[in-house]
Amino acid sequence: MKHILLACSSGMSTSLLVSKMEEAASAKGLDVKIWAVAQDKAFTELGKANVLLIGPQMRFLKKKFEKAAAEEGIPVDVIDPVAYGRVDGEAVLDKALSLLS
Amino acid sequence: MENSKFMQLLENILLPIADKLNNNRYLSALRDGFMVALPLIIFGSIFVVIANFPFLDSVMSENAFARYQEALGPASASTLSIMGLFVIIGIGYKLIEHYKGEAIYGGVVAVAAFIILTPQVLEGVAGVIPASALGAQGMFLGIFTAFISAELYRFFVQKNWMIKMPAGVPGAVSKSFSALLPIAFTLSVFLLVRILMSFTPFETVQNFIYTVVQEPLTQLGSGLPATIIAVLLIQVFWFFGLHGQIIVNSVFDPIWYSLNEQNLSAFQAGAELPNIITKQFIDSFLVGMGGSGMTLAVIILIILIGRSRQLKEMGKLGGPPGVFNVNEPIIFGLPIIMNPLVLIPWLIAPVVVTVITYVSMSTGLVPKPAGIIVPWTTPPLLSGFLATGNAWQGAVLQAFNLFVVMIIWWPFLKILDKNYYETEKSGEETKAS
Repeated sequence: MKHILLACSSGMSTSLLVSKMEEAASAKGLDVKIWAVAQDKAFTELGKANVLLIGPQMRFLKKKFEKAAAEEGIPVDVIDPVAYGRVDGEAVLDKALSLLS
Repeated sequence: MENSKFMQLLENILLPIADKLNNNRYLSALRDGFMVALPLIIFGSIFVVIANFPFLDSVMSENAFARYQEALGPASASTLSIMGLFVIIGIGYKLIEHYKGEAIYGGVVAVAAFIILTPQVLEGVAGVIPASALGAQGMFLGIFTAFISAELYRFFVQKNWMIKMPAGVPGAVSKSFSALLPIAFTLSVFLLVRILMSFTPFETVQNFIYTVVQEPLTQLGSGLPATIIAVLLIQVFWFFGLHGQIIVNSVFDPIWYSLNEQNLSAFQAGAELPNIITKQFIDSFLVGMGGSGMTLAVIILIILIGRSRQLKEMGKLGGPPGVFNVNEPIIFGLPIIMNPLVLIPWLIAPVVVTVITYVSMSTGLVPKPAGIIVPWTTPPLLSGFLATGNAWQGAVLQAFNLFVVMIIWWPFLKILDKNYYETEKSGEETKAS
């Protein structure tokens, strides 16, 4: 099972995305766990994740997250702003999966 | 082309600023420190709201109402009114956690250092710590103390000064002293500072920081010009898709919370409220209107006049989270980011709303924020009502402001809608032919 962690300022807007990504995953018959947290909690949650995606509005934190994620050996990326605005669960899920493969 | 080059240039300036502000260990610890205090602050706020429900004073006898308020008083007195204490624990803890030390010591050392610097006499009675010193009044002192005590503690831990035990003493015994020395050295420094300060005209460090730093800064922050600059900064950051609120908060929160506390004490004492600009002015009357930039007004406007599929879709997607002031879908989806067409209303509307709100409160048309912390996810109208200490005028002001934002946005949204509509139509025609 793949664990996908999303982080934004308070975990609110990314949690919108979580339900859309879950829908997309179950449509594809994938077994994934997806959850969203506030950015300050992301460091402690990092250990449970296989991949971390951060909201585009928090992209100034990317470097900080990359450092922490490198220690865990986890890939990190910023969610595409267009997909974020459309709450496009499928596109973001695909991105997470491509980072994992 | 020129346009996008200019955008790229601005982005290259803004991104490092946001990066610096948020990755600065002190500002992160400060922000996280407030996060630690937040649940307690909200607990206290709920009871201030309950204690001041409208009409209660007219249905209850004066005596019963006083006893009712007195019974609920400790809820806010133990949380909201001494929030400085929790912020200090949070900062000390988070800083030492950042240094990968034993975080809990960072928290307790910060509190002890802060209390050392706090006057322990009230009106001639010794052994008393004024509760006000643990709230707004001590906020800045507390923040500095937490930073400095955590740094000193870390310094002394790194020096690794240990008490040398004779051979044969179990290792666990000497280890038990490992926290003792750094704490003892750190607190001694603060004691020395307290003693030295008592020889100056300021008498206490609390007084010194309050007069020299806190008072001038909060004075500045309580004014309209500083607030408009903060609001514009938030909007500009967001325009580049960066979370402006969180970036600006990390600098302004100590000021906004201190101003908030002053209003709360006045509100509870039944005195006149000193400040208009407070944490709640920002959170309820600016952010609390659908998110930064008052985007709930934009969503309502889309529902009213939107013809293009793209905007209609945006209204459906952005509406439900927008009611709770989460507006990332609309910011990234409309899109607002990097969209020159909406830059003007995006910058102007919040400034106009800030001025309207400020003026309506300074003229007494609407009560000033009562110092109650209303969570920023509270829907508009309700948040305005609660923030002004259960005053209906607060809700009416929010409704009026939403209307003003809609008028400012109307011509620009109309053009955007027309553009989208025509693109969609021409797209369908090419498909059909």
